[in-house]
Amino acid sequence: MKKIFNILSVAAIVSLAACTELDVPPKSIASGDVIFEDASTYESFLAKIYAGFALTGQQGPAGSGDISGIDEGASSYIRQYWQLQELPTDEAVIGWADGNLPDLNTMSWNDDNEFITAMYYRVFYNISLTNEFIRESSDANLDSRGFTDAEKEIIRQYRAEARFVRAMSYWHGLDLFGNIPFYTEEDAIGSDAPEQATPAEVFAYIESELIDIENELFDAATVPYGRASKAAVWALQAKLYLNAAVYTGTDRNTDCITACNKIINDGTFSLWPTYSENFGADNNISNEIIFAALFDGQNTRTYGGTTYLVSAAVGGTMDPTAYGIAGGWGGLRATSALVNLFPDETGSLDQRAIFYTSGQTKEITDIAEFTNGYAVPKFTNVTSTGARGSHENFPDTDFAFFRLADIYLMYAEAVVRGGSGGDVTTALGYVNQIRQRAYGTNAGDITAAQLTLDFILDERGRELYWEGHRRTDLIRFGEYSAAGVWPWKGGVQAGTTTSAHYDLYPLPSSELIANPKLKQNDQY
Amino acid sequence: MKADNYNLRSKQTGSGWFRLLAILSLLCASFIVNAQERTVSGTVSDGETDETLPGVTVLVKGTSRGTITDMDGNYKIGVADGDILTFSFVGYETKDVTVGSQSVVNVGLRLSIEQLAEIVVVGYGEQEKGDVTGVVAEVKSDDFNKGAIVSPDNLIAGKVAGVQITPNSGEPGGQVSVRIRGGTSLTASSEPLYVIDGVPIDNSAHNPGGFSGGRNPLNFLNPNEIENITVLKDASAAAIYGARGANGVIIITTKRGKAGQEGKVTYDGYFSVAELANRIDMLNAEQFSSVIIAKHAENIDQMGTGNTDWYDEITRTAIGQNHSLSFTGGTETAGFRFSAGFQDLEGVVQNSETQKTSLGFNYNQSLLDDQLKINANIKSSFIKDQYDAGAIGGAIAFDPTQNIYDAGSRWGGYFEYAEDLAPDNPVSSADQVQDFGEYVRNIGKIDITYDMPFVDGLSATLSGGYDINLGERKRFLPSTLRSQSSDSGEVRIENIKRINPMVTFLLNYKKELPSINSSLNVTGGYEFQQFTSEYPSYRAYGLSTDVYGFYSGNIAEYSETYNSYESSRIISFFGRANYRFMDRYLLTLTVRRDGSSRFGPDNRWGVFPSAALGWRLLDESFMSSLKTVFSDLKVRVGYGITGSQEIGNYRYLATYTSSFPTAQYPFGDEYITTLRPNGYDQGIKWEQTASLNVGVDFGILKGRLSGSIEYYEKNTSDLLFEVSVPAGTNMTNRIITNIGEMQNRGIELALNSYIIDNNDLSWNVGFNISHNQNQIKVLDGNSDENFEGYLTGGISGGTGNNIQILSVGNQVNSFYVYRAITDENGNPLPDGVDHNGDGEINLADIYKDTNGDETVNSEDREIYGSPAPKFIMGLTSQTSYKGFDLSFTLRGNIGNKVYNNIASNNGFYNAMDGSGNWLQNVHASVLETNYVTPQYFSDYYVEDASFVRMDNITLGYNVPGLQKTNIRVYGTVQNAFVLTEYSGLDPEVGNGIDNNPYPKARTYVLGLSLGF
Repeated sequence: MKKIFNILSVAAIVSLAACTELDVPPKSIASGDVIFEDASTYESFLAKIYAGFALTGQQGPAGSGDISGIDEGASSYIRQYWQLQELPTDEAVIGWADGNLPDLNTMSWNDDNEFITAMYYRVFYNISLTNEFIRESSDANLDSRGFTDAEKEIIRQYRAEARFVRAMSYWHGLDLFGNIPFYTEEDAIGSDAPEQATPAEVFAYIESELIDIENELFDAATVPYGRASKAAVWALQAKLYLNAAVYTGTDRNTDCITACNKIINDGTFSLWPTYSENFGADNNISNEIIFAALFDGQNTRTYGGTTYLVSAAVGGTMDPTAYGIAGGWGGLRATSALVNLFPDETGSLDQRAIFYTSGQTKEITDIAEFTNGYAVPKFTNVTSTGARGSHENFPDTDFAFFRLADIYLMYAEAVVRGGSGGDVTTALGYVNQIRQRAYGTNAGDITAAQLTLDFILDERGRELYWEGHRRTDLIRFGEYSAAGVWPWKGGVQAGTTTSAHYDLYPLPSSELIANPKLKQNDQY
Repeated sequence: MKADNYNLRSKQTGSGWFRLLAILSLLCASFIVNAQERTVSGTVSDGETDETLPGVTVLVKGTSRGTITDMDGNYKIGVADGDILTFSFVGYETKDVTVGSQSVVNVGLRLSIEQLAEIVVVGYGEQEKGDVTGVVAEVKSDDFNKGAIVSPDNLIAGKVAGVQITPNSGEPGGQVSVRIRGGTSLTASSEPLYVIDGVPIDNSAHNPGGFSGGRNPLNFLNPNEIENITVLKDASAAAIYGARGANGVIIITTKRGKAGQEGKVTYDGYFSVAELANRIDMLNAEQFSSVIIAKHAENIDQMGTGNTDWYDEITRTAIGQNHSLSFTGGTETAGFRFSAGFQDLEGVVQNSETQKTSLGFNYNQSLLDDQLKINANIKSSFIKDQYDAGAIGGAIAFDPTQNIYDAGSRWGGYFEYAEDLAPDNPVSSADQVQDFGEYVRNIGKIDITYDMPFVDGLSATLSGGYDINLGERKRFLPSTLRSQSSDSGEVRIENIKRINPMVTFLLNYKKELPSINSSLNVTGGYEFQQFTSEYPSYRAYGLSTDVYGFYSGNIAEYSETYNSYESSRIISFFGRANYRFMDRYLLTLTVRRDGSSRFGPDNRWGVFPSAALGWRLLDESFMSSLKTVFSDLKVRVGYGITGSQEIGNYRYLATYTSSFPTAQYPFGDEYITTLRPNGYDQGIKWEQTASLNVGVDFGILKGRLSGSIEYYEKNTSDLLFEVSVPAGTNMTNRIITNIGEMQNRGIELALNSYIIDNNDLSWNVGFNISHNQNQIKVLDGNSDENFEGYLTGGISGGTGNNIQILSVGNQVNSFYVYRAITDENGNPLPDGVDHNGDGEINLADIYKDTNGDETVNSEDREIYGSPAPKFIMGLTSQTSYKGFDLSFTLRGNIGNKVYNNIASNNGFYNAMDGSGNWLQNVHASVLETNYVTPQYFSDYYVEDASFVRMDNITLGYNVPGLQKTNIRVYGTVQNAFVLTEYSGLDPEVGNGIDNNPYPKARTYVLGLSLGF
């Protein structure tokens, strides 16, 4: 028996010593070397790139967040884009005491602001996702992975769409932060930190990318809802060119008109008859919307996006069910400057004036108090037939980046600013189309003489308020920081002008630490 | 029952129950038949030095008759011929002397070698206490905390210097956080490694969906089954656990049978009653309505007509019971132990409970003339938990003027507000939510040890073990809950399957080398352990009816399924050499080489060495004069490196995560599951802690007072921390990488004394106090002086608000606050008033401008204490007088701060009218602060939470005079009182943020122990 035992123990030792395998591959998450062999991966990856605007993580509404350092709901691309574009302006304030959020109301932020930081990382998150997609979907990779020609064709179109999303994010980065790090699919993960580019360089890159991909995308008439078509490229071109003087010092109004004309002449889009339905739970039916981030109460949930836009605007004595939600978050209101843009605050003349005034004061004496300032239930979770969306906490409402009314107003502005390729008569016609929808009659029509830049800025306010355009518009018109006054600007109730350096947001302090090649924007 | 029948049975020996009854009935008689025949006297002295010994216990064996020696070592006692006298004294061997016919019995006692030769458990073996060079603290079962205790970690709270055991909740069987000499990690776990009967267990409450986790993973172990708990505190002791040893190791050894042991049955049972120990200071209905009238007159009509104490409604007096039965026995070559336990404890919050049925089996056998030994252990438990409905938040916030019920309500007849952000009626949640967990956990191990022939002193041990945890968590939320108004009912079920097998192979060589005055003990080993976990789950909602309860999956409109799988493996080679020279110079060397699948190929293997020296000073000839003072004196120095690998799996790998069904993205009419590339750090590796320990063990007054003093310094490098990466270089903005450095330094003092020890009265006291100083040395390599640090410590209130900071040069999780300006009474100035008269109402009116830049903004927040105590203390006292015994454990922390988040989140007037059409209760602190808007970051809410707690106090009575039987009745009060200045519910809060806690209880226990 001893002998047997000795033999057995030696055998055991030998077999154990062989057990040194330490590669334990994951199963419920995928490793990169496996997943890209499957053609369906590319569609899922592209969906993630689009979802970069709408969602915050892989669980929905929260959990497994994409970026960290901030509450996941507040890390939403659209939530922060909206806050940075609206809260410092005459259109909106927010009452919450969350961290450094109040500084956005009063244009007094610094480079530690977590909301600015979140926006910054969202922009570059989308860019990094796209770069990764482009690397993985390179022609060489597709060949080596043995896909059929049909599959390759589809994946190549995905690649072009991903480049559109990247161009959008680069534009947001350019517009908000000015002097940003620049990198493309050539810079692989783990490579050196990127260099900083000048605004002109980023501008040129976006311009060339858009020209490059234009013909690869769907026609507007046939594009599946939610994905970028040729018209989305034109709309982004129009934005880029209209603001070109801000970015590069050179006007590109003619190019803006060209892009607007392509959209208008495409014939796919028309003003949706009822203004408010562009912001309701079934706004996907509106053929005014050119490109949007999509949300769904069952399948596409977030605490950012339109969940935030609908919920944060409801509070006080408002009945949340009237807006299709179970409860308001009581945060967002309008300043009196926005209310004053309209001929009356009830919306009986200009139907675009969507204010809730009962129990609210028009002027704001205490920003923290929801009842100070009119509430703005412009975005709702109610459909065109008055029904609630599919979930009472997560609206179905989509967020339109670009819609036709904006294109009409950009056309008019570019014409008035002296661009060629368009004319004042046509521009006036477009503007009056918008106003006829707003008034329901011709009562609001203007004359060619009234079509001034000042009028256009105000009209953009009336038509596009709370849609995330205001800061860019005010800067283009020179009315944002050093000029222009509205309640609580600069931290005083009457409002005061501020330093021009607030035209750009600061690069986050954490990014400056991580990437010493970057130079902070002036005066931060 | 007939009397003759009873007598007949009482004569049977071995029939325990009846023997017990017989003994009980004879108790009275024993006082009468105490015949004494004559007196013997004598002197007791030290057998070596002939010095007389005062205070020696002299006992007539088998009786309760006894005496002690006087100052000169003399005694006198009445005996009968043939009686045996037992002489016992601390530090000496007990001696039995049979009284013949002589009348003088002088006795010399020998110094107890056992005292020095006491065996302690160390990793992968045992060692004589006198030879130990590392910092090893053992708590034996006699010294465990008493009371209705579910998880073993609570047994040693307050017992070991430098070990802080904080119950994070008052829930029965709730999570406990354990810190040995301070935490060594920021991102990874700072919990120690647990080793149960040689099986290192997976103790993480890992639950991917945030749902399946269960309570404390150690709950499965029956506390009655534990023989001792050993804490390895320093690197010299813990380095044998290499990559898992940086936070210390807790080794739990269970009881086992011994060969040659007589059969023994023990029973231990108790009943317990628990009541709320404290209440949260919210306004009552009367105070509430007067504040509404004064501050929110416009909302008066929103008040209700009731008077409800919501906290009362969801709490209760909770009862519990525990029964443990064991049977131990042995043959000449084998020993066995079988045990069974049942424990059922209710929580003080309605509908929370834990129930445990446990079985344990140990069998050991020696074969081949003791050359081959086999030892097998199996511990298995079935745990049923019921979880409270999360109603505590609602009970705090709900308007006390509202009634519980509302006949017309669509929510099951309970009064509710139709708003999403309004609090839920806590009684409705407590009554309607059904939330259960059921877990089976089984740990087993078999060791086969073979003394090798041909080589004397060489033995080999092969062990196979496993840790299996299977369970299910299920929750049903009926559609009549307010929170379900949109989802109309939900059932969620998640399974847990964890299977962790292991194999260990050890070679041990023991050799005395008298020729060179040396002794050698060398161990070498190999270990393989794998951890696999899987969590399939589903969630179904949109129920057309509530009648199917947990079985509503079939009728649900929507359902979602998930599965998550993780696996890791650790392979190790290790060795230890203990060398003793001239019986007084000790050297211990250990090394462990660990390979872990959690790291990339370049960083997989790590080496963790340690060395320690011990010097038994007292054995030196030049110390002989001190032998009258000291009975033990040893100096130790140890240095070693340990690691921590608790970072989760696959972090070195480029992985892709699919989206849940609720995070799809529409392409046209189709919803697409998205795929996300995750951020990763290819070069990630272990955190490494280098620690130095210097200690002295001493015993004076012949061992009546013994103790140790330790100084340690632990430097953790390659600290894992989530730092920002440059945009464009990874797939997310922050990556966990090895970048930081941290230090813990401290001193510990542990004392143990036998103050009185004689026949009738004994009293011993154990005391320990320790001080730990933690400091972050490096966080992200950034040298920018203006960078304060990374905010952390999320609070309730607003979104994304943090109250703590990780800052270089400061303690981990220091509080980071505004300094409030106070009035003459010490109260903070109310907000919304232009105190400084500058025409503006802003932060400068109520907070100090600490950086002197003339404005008050986020840069004026300051570091203000931390949740870590400066000192932790424990005092254990055990007294026995005749059959009675009284013991207690006092435990205290000094210098720990707690942020009262319940006060900060509910203590301002604007909280009352919500952001919609409901009212909400406020914390009574508002009457002091008069805050109108929330002031989350005010130092007012950061309080000193130093405390002294009477953890448990027990009075017991052992029925005397029983030969082979013992009977003990006892009563225990747990959490008898807490002395503290902290204004919240309880000063012990794991992370220092006091937020809707499960309230702690005061528990009364009445128990009975039997053994025969």
